[in-house]
Amino acid sequence: MTPMAIDDSIRANDRTTRTIDGKEVLFDEEGFLVEPEHWTETIAETIALEMGIPELTPLQWQTIHCLRGFYLANGRAPLNRDIKRETGLSLLELERLFPGGIRHGARRLAGLPNPKGC
Amino acid sequence: MKQVNFTLNGSPQTCVAEDDLVLLDFLRKNQDLTGAKQSCDRKGQCGACTVVVNKKAVRSCLTRVVSLHGADVITIEGLGTPDNPHLIQEAFALSGAIQCGYCTPGMIMASKALLDRNPDPDTDAIKKALARNLCRCTGYKKIIDAVKLAGSFIRGEARPIEVRPDPEEGTIGVSLPRPTALLLATGKALFTADRNMDGVLELAAVRSPFSHALIKSIDTSQAEKVPGVVCVLTAKNIRGTNRLKEDQPILCEHKVHVMGDAVAAVIADTKENALQGAQAVSVEYARLPEVHSPAEAVAAGSCQVHESTANLCYSHPQIKGDAQAALSQSDVVVEARFSTQQIHQSPLEPEASLAYFEEHPEDDEPQLVVVGRSINIHYHLKILQDALGWENMRYEQAFIGGQFGIKMDITAEGLAAAAALHVRRPVRYVCSLTESMWITTKRHPFDMKVQLGADRSGKLTGYSIDFVVDNGAYVSAGKSIVNRALYMLSGSYHIPHVRAMGTLVYTNNAWGGAARGAGPPQVNFALESAMELLAARLEIDPLEFRLMNTVKPGQSISTGEVVEEWPYPGCLEALREHYERARRDCAAASTGRFKRGVGLAGGSFGIGRGGPDRSQVAVELMPDGGLTVYGSIADPGEGNDAMLTQIASHLTGIPQQKIHLVTRDTDSTPDSSSASGSRVTYMSGGALVNAIEALKKAMEEAGGPEHKHLVAAGKPTRYLGTRVAQTTLLDPETGRGVPFESRVHGVQMAEVEVDTETGEVRLLKMTAVVDPGTVINPRIVEGQIEGGLDMGAGMALREHYVHGETNDWIGYKFPTMKTAFDMNVILLQTPRKRGPLGAVGVGEFVLLPTAAAIITAIQNATRGERICDLPATPQRVLDAMGGETPAVDTDGN
Repeated sequence: MTPMAIDDSIRANDRTTRTIDGKEVLFDEEGFLVEPEHWTETIAETIALEMGIPELTPLQWQTIHCLRGFYLANGRAPLNRDIKRETGLSLLELERLFPGGIRHGARRLAGLPNPKGC
Repeated sequence: MKQVNFTLNGSPQTCVAEDDLVLLDFLRKNQDLTGAKQSCDRKGQCGACTVVVNKKAVRSCLTRVVSLHGADVITIEGLGTPDNPHLIQEAFALSGAIQCGYCTPGMIMASKALLDRNPDPDTDAIKKALARNLCRCTGYKKIIDAVKLAGSFIRGEARPIEVRPDPEEGTIGVSLPRPTALLLATGKALFTADRNMDGVLELAAVRSPFSHALIKSIDTSQAEKVPGVVCVLTAKNIRGTNRLKEDQPILCEHKVHVMGDAVAAVIADTKENALQGAQAVSVEYARLPEVHSPAEAVAAGSCQVHESTANLCYSHPQIKGDAQAALSQSDVVVEARFSTQQIHQSPLEPEASLAYFEEHPEDDEPQLVVVGRSINIHYHLKILQDALGWENMRYEQAFIGGQFGIKMDITAEGLAAAAALHVRRPVRYVCSLTESMWITTKRHPFDMKVQLGADRSGKLTGYSIDFVVDNGAYVSAGKSIVNRALYMLSGSYHIPHVRAMGTLVYTNNAWGGAARGAGPPQVNFALESAMELLAARLEIDPLEFRLMNTVKPGQSISTGEVVEEWPYPGCLEALREHYERARRDCAAASTGRFKRGVGLAGGSFGIGRGGPDRSQVAVELMPDGGLTVYGSIADPGEGNDAMLTQIASHLTGIPQQKIHLVTRDTDSTPDSSSASGSRVTYMSGGALVNAIEALKKAMEEAGGPEHKHLVAAGKPTRYLGTRVAQTTLLDPETGRGVPFESRVHGVQMAEVEVDTETGEVRLLKMTAVVDPGTVINPRIVEGQIEGGLDMGAGMALREHYVHGETNDWIGYKFPTMKTAFDMNVILLQTPRKRGPLGAVGVGEFVLLPTAAAIITAIQNATRGERICDLPATPQRVLDAMGGETPAVDTDGN
């Protein structure tokens, strides 16, 4: 019996297990890490390549580490104002820094949970 | 208009009142005394607004101010304060009579009037005096206990200090009063509708009278001319996705999918003007064909509820072994069809939200603050950010007036926030009860076709179930409900072969969502009913039949998971003596017309969201030696405040009074996810344990347990704990997986009396044996079970929400003191390996066995057919009896 093909983010087959740097890593249907604790810089570099970024710049790394540091300290993703405060960049600069902007670019690279997740 | 002089809480008042001004509005609007609550649209049905006037309890929503000349009025605020509570307020806190607390001020004021004239009331007198005060959380038992305790305080026979737990008892397994109990008991806890602001605008929605229609045009011109109207909002004014869920708009753009859909919102200086403006909005609709049952919705040529999705929007199988072969080879097979009804979760608090902007000098744009009653604030913040296209936002959770799953979805928040964003002023949206019923999720109706087989010895062989779920117009948690039903499909039993197919279908009906138990109560009703039918066919005692088929450690459930721990048989054994007593009692008390019967049902409930689940909680050691716990852990009445405080105090040795909780806003808390799935104790309690372990490790390394030691050692004083469940989703082809780490188990027994002439059923007593692992606060756990039994009884006997017809509490047959019944809760404690201190959650499990136990008791009383469709109305009871008075019972069964 095959279930109907539907768009359901809670289904197992929407998740992808990939091997990165010798470790199995689980991604959700939009390419966000399911377990933020499993993040490594190699994972960020792999995602970056897929996003069309051949090499992350120091500014991009700074922003990624800023997001990650905030998440690990506070247990939640930062608001844009928190990132601006930490990085000193304007919102426009931040949005331009990553394909997909902060929400779907920087967050994904930093291994933060999908904003759609609950 | 009339000048009125009266005394309010001891202070003389002079006011000039309109003839139609009621005391409730005078108190809340003119005096900012918000302890008296509004729930029933000022119909005098709920008692939440009860105050004392001239020593009598009155419903302030029905009391005109002009009638109060010379009166002495006392409100909840006039009794006591959290620091100096009245004895009745203290008795309610000590008795565990306060869960969400929305009804509490009214209950206490009604009790005050009673105890002033009769300081030693018996149960009947209390039930009579509080007959018009409704409570959804407690099942009334602990409220009756509280009034009796208050009486003993007032009579001087006992003192609060003698009742409070001795500090020497520690904090685990001790019934400490909840930290917020006295705030709730004194009316100081602010619910969303109690929040107000200077210059706040009020909102009224324009809602569709049709279940399915195109919106041809919306003319707002007349509404904009109504005095006081500031603006009228339509979908085009919303800057973001305008979606609360993928298929659910805040304001409909082109089409409405269910009666009550919002198409416009009027913002005005007063609620009255906003409502008048809403009346003046002219919407031209073009009606579309409608579908009101899954069968209609999947029929060839039926209209599609959503243009982009088929009506049959989700299905999921479950396969374990070969059920078809097993059933065909079984010695006995029972086959039946069961249905459950649509139910309103019925929190007493109507829907409400307040939204406003807050300026911060360092920010480029102001922060939009949304106040509401969400039980998943970080998730709902993200939804609002996307829906409204505004990122700098904060969700603030007010006190929550009950939820039972309904607050897994946001409602009024979307419109209030959209309006505040549009007009850049504070906007409040307080819904009526009728409107609240229109805009909230319901418990999904299930239609279930089952086959259950066994061999001659009584061993279960195979189970097949097809269940179809009426999703209504929006998906909400519908797919999760199907999945959750599959997670717990085989209940407490080892069934070697299982086949299931769950199907979710869009209709133009009110939409389903999370509702206490969320799927398993429906399928467990079918399974436990089939177990009874099979036990009868095999002529095996129902308790023995369940015992011989219980899952044993090392065996698997329907998901294929092999379980390590399964303390269900102990629950059955603990019930045995009560079961034998009840059968004797019922046999002795049955008369010609009134027949008594006993029924059993069991259940096992998975703890957590099902599949991946995580929670984060932080702790911070404060300079004064206190501990602050941070986490978005909602407490809509379950006592999560006590759980967090008691675990933290136990593990750190810091006195309970020095544990502070920060749980209510998205800027201050880690994301602990939702207060759902009975997961808070297990997951967030677990995250708290992890955070405290990190803190204690740091204390050890710093060479001392105090704040100054950590600082001197250069160590942080704040630590984040994360709890990640080791679980999986179900395989989409087979329905196999490990969605939960642990479960709560139990069995319930109903004793009923049936009037065989009218079909009326009187529920005499429910006995519940529950094993929730380590019990952190026994009185709170009992309260959860008692409230759940009352809700389960409503599902079995009375409650049925009909969209567009059900519009108030009496019409819904809300449980009352009159329908309250005797309860006996027996707690077993088998510590769970992975629960915090061995504990799991308990709030939802209780819904699983109740309906089946009651229906079995009815069948055993009447010797009629089994009732397969809920609720068991008197007519259904008579129909099941076949119109004949049953033969005289000899053994109670």
